[in-house]
Amino acid sequence: MPKITIDGKQFDFNHGQTIIETAKENGIEIPHFCWHPKLSISGNCRICLVEVEKMPKLVIACSTLAADGMVVNTQSDKTIAARNAVMEFILINHPLDCPICDEAGECKLQDYAFKHGTGESRFVEEKQHKDKRVELGPRIMFDAERCISCSRCIRFSDEIAGRNQLTFIRRGDRVTITTFPGEEFDNPYTMNTIDICPVGALTSKDFRFKSRVWEMSSTNSVCTGCARGCNTEIWVRDNKIQRLTPRINETVNGHWMCDDGRLNTFKHVNNEETRIDGPHIRVDGQLTKVTWNEAVKEAVKRLKSFNNTEIAFIGSAFATVEDNYAFQKFSKANFNATNLDFARHVVPGSGDDILICEDKTPNSLGAVLTGIQPVADGMNLAEIINGIKSKKIKALYIMEDDIAQLDSEYETLLAKLDLLIVHASNKNKTTTLADILLPVSTYAEKHGTIVNVDGMIQRMRPAVATEELERSLDQMPMSRWDKFGTKFDRWARGKKYDAKPSWKILGLLSQELPNKLKYKMAEDVFEDVSQHVKEFSGLDYDLIGEMGVKIKSDKITAKV
Amino acid sequence: MEQNIKIVLPEIPNLHELDVYIQNGGFNAAKKAFTQSPDDLIEQVKKSGLRGRGGAAFSAGLKWSFMPKTTDKPKYLAINGDESEPGSFKDRQIFEYNPHQLIEGILITCYAIGAKTAYIYIRGEYHKWIRLMQKALDDAYSKGCIGEKMKDTFNTEFFCDIYIHKGAGAYICGEESSLMNSLEGHRGYPRVKPPFPAQRGLWGCPTTINNVETITNVPKIIENGWEWFSKIGAEKHPGTILYGISGHVNKPGVYELPTGILLTELIYDIAGGVAGNKKIKCVIPGGSSMPPLRGDQLEGIRMDAESLKAAGSAIGTAGVMVMDEDTDLLRVLARITKFYYHESCGQCTPCREGTGWMLKTLNRMIEGNATSDDIDLLIEVANNIEGNTVCALGDAAAWPVKFMLDRFRDEFEKYVKTDVSLPVRNKVHAMRGTVVPLVDVKR
Repeated sequence: MPKITIDGKQFDFNHGQTIIETAKENGIEIPHFCWHPKLSISGNCRICLVEVEKMPKLVIACSTLAADGMVVNTQSDKTIAARNAVMEFILINHPLDCPICDEAGECKLQDYAFKHGTGESRFVEEKQHKDKRVELGPRIMFDAERCISCSRCIRFSDEIAGRNQLTFIRRGDRVTITTFPGEEFDNPYTMNTIDICPVGALTSKDFRFKSRVWEMSSTNSVCTGCARGCNTEIWVRDNKIQRLTPRINETVNGHWMCDDGRLNTFKHVNNEETRIDGPHIRVDGQLTKVTWNEAVKEAVKRLKSFNNTEIAFIGSAFATVEDNYAFQKFSKANFNATNLDFARHVVPGSGDDILICEDKTPNSLGAVLTGIQPVADGMNLAEIINGIKSKKIKALYIMEDDIAQLDSEYETLLAKLDLLIVHASNKNKTTTLADILLPVSTYAEKHGTIVNVDGMIQRMRPAVATEELERSLDQMPMSRWDKFGTKFDRWARGKKYDAKPSWKILGLLSQELPNKLKYKMAEDVFEDVSQHVKEFSGLDYDLIGEMGVKIKSDKITAKV
Repeated sequence: MEQNIKIVLPEIPNLHELDVYIQNGGFNAAKKAFTQSPDDLIEQVKKSGLRGRGGAAFSAGLKWSFMPKTTDKPKYLAINGDESEPGSFKDRQIFEYNPHQLIEGILITCYAIGAKTAYIYIRGEYHKWIRLMQKALDDAYSKGCIGEKMKDTFNTEFFCDIYIHKGAGAYICGEESSLMNSLEGHRGYPRVKPPFPAQRGLWGCPTTINNVETITNVPKIIENGWEWFSKIGAEKHPGTILYGISGHVNKPGVYELPTGILLTELIYDIAGGVAGNKKIKCVIPGGSSMPPLRGDQLEGIRMDAESLKAAGSAIGTAGVMVMDEDTDLLRVLARITKFYYHESCGQCTPCREGTGWMLKTLNRMIEGNATSDDIDLLIEVANNIEGNTVCALGDAAAWPVKFMLDRFRDEFEKYVKTDVSLPVRNKVHAMRGTVVPLVDVKR
């Protein structure tokens, strides 16, 4: 194997690898702005200039191929002088408005200025002025003065999103970025450019000026926008989700996520208007808040008044593996349920060959594998609906899905039921019809697993505190402990909802019934799953870890 | 030295007309070339010592030999007629007075490197010369000298097509890789090298890029033999050069003379000396980006790549700019720097940011707001640009500043003051060092 020497250490490398890649693989970071492992090489920022023995000039580590016997010095006087020079050049026209910049705290330029800058500037001239607020597209705001012209966004748009929408215009230090005439920067993946922008030039119109980076905690999670299950980080301040960002997972989403998932899968968690806070039962036609104990007793009492053919149970591809497993176990064990199914939310033609799936639920495969399907000659969803019409079905137990929304006639149909029990986190058409409404924690407020379109089982973690799940040291991340308990504490304040994960609610109900669910933690449920569902056998939360595990199943139909 | 040898611009009336060109032996070289093997031709050009006339003075034959012999891709020839360097105006003489020799040179080169398509990239501002060159191409096509009819005309299997591509007014597109991007319809940004054009050029295919003047030399080399050519002018840099002389001389213009001629001879004998018999303060020998020479150090300097290198400059495009003793070099330097600031494409950091910084500092010096520290700062900024950029524009911008300040420091010291008060243009930067001097708190 060929060998390269970097900073006095010898490393193996593969033919075709560049200096920067070889160095990175071996834990040596060569500073870079324009280079990105997923994009083509542009070689324009020049911060990665390094000294290579026997080469007359410094070379850029991002485009220079490693060669056998090559000796690279990333810390020589010449290298450091060039690096300082480039830092100085980049900063002369940079507005240095870090105090009001969204990127501050996660800014490559800021980090490098700290690490590689000389700390002072010799520049006393007027800075080049450019447009400060350009709406490149519906979700992206561009500050041309902050831009360091690395071209990452341009290359991303062309090479990853497959839509060549951005370009440089003008020359020299007047260079700026714009969309092509008549184009808007509106492809489904535009917001990834915010993440890869090494400075605060591209900002999210949604998140702009909402929070400083260091005031938020970040929790590893998974996007629930479709069956892809892109790995995400949930950023929380004041117990509210401020934003989602993609988390690198090469087997699922690479470095990216779609704009729809990023923007439209968390707002309901914060929505004080629609969140259901505490259990409700219908009293004199009105949904009235009651205690958990009252709600549970009422639910069990009324469920018991129907025989098993009169009740139907609807699980959910929006709920976790744990919730669905507990749901079918609860219903089968206590009510001998046969009418069991969940609703599919497939939008044909809405997918692409990048990340977005036609299946708009995060856990269809999980629902199938945990047994959310009719038992023997029990009814499926369509038959359940017909059953309601023909009065065969008198009671319906719906977990975490807005069934009334599925079809225009369902709303009137569900209103005809004698009993409608609903688990939901937010008010919707179905909850307004509920006789007993049980508030559930959202995906951002609980532990659990979901299975994506390719059979990757992935973990979700609580990022937002609820009344039953306090933000405590071992459960949720808190990045600024020094402020804990002070008036600047961003972690202990904010609204907490009275909600529980579905498996826990079902556990409460089962206490009033012959077959009790004895789970204390989500992990207990999953242990039960792993012992009873062959696809999950041998798995546990630690094994699934941060990156997920691919399960084997003949039910995986996705084209990979 | 035989000063009357004219290779590129023979003094024949109406040579730009195809009939006249053919009557004077035009296309004989092509006929001769097509009977030889491409490798032979490359070898002859290599041995002739023909070096590029576009600035880098790289061996033309060697460049051709970099083209892969076996490839499944088409090969291309691009002729660089962007001619945007201030002080350089020689290629347009060829477009106007000897276009068919350029065409013949292209045919021979295409045959030698195996290209079937050649592009002549001409700067957009050359409206007239684009028209003239197009006329010449049209005439040559209709006479069967280019295109498929070549097969009959020259009784050969080989043929090639030639197209003119108009630039859109960017100096950077004279840089070969930007030229290729521009030809492909992209923004004129230089490409990172390697890969070099012979490996991956136009549309990813092997490409050779030569200057107009270089290629116009080729037919005569083939016709008269490489030995003939190699004996003209300077030994290591043979042939003639179109010297473009401008500035404070009595007879500015383009002169074809052998390489290696004395710079003083060029100025005093050929260009008629300095206007008003003034002394020379400064000469830039190869177009505005080349290091300037002091007027009192011109004795004995010869106009070829090696001699000028030894004298601390370079032949460049042989655009000689003469400045007399009354010239304000600060304004000259500011103007040159303004040009490179204006033309910097903005792709890579040092050139994008550094050219503007240098210009702003020079303008401040003109305003009388600079100290001698600013002279050192300018030299450092220039040094920080030089060698650190994607293409040679960075060097082109840095050299005039660096060498002008170094070689004429006395001139610039006249403009600086010991103490200046700067308007607070840039608060964040200007506040640095005022409260606690950063020098003191440095680790």
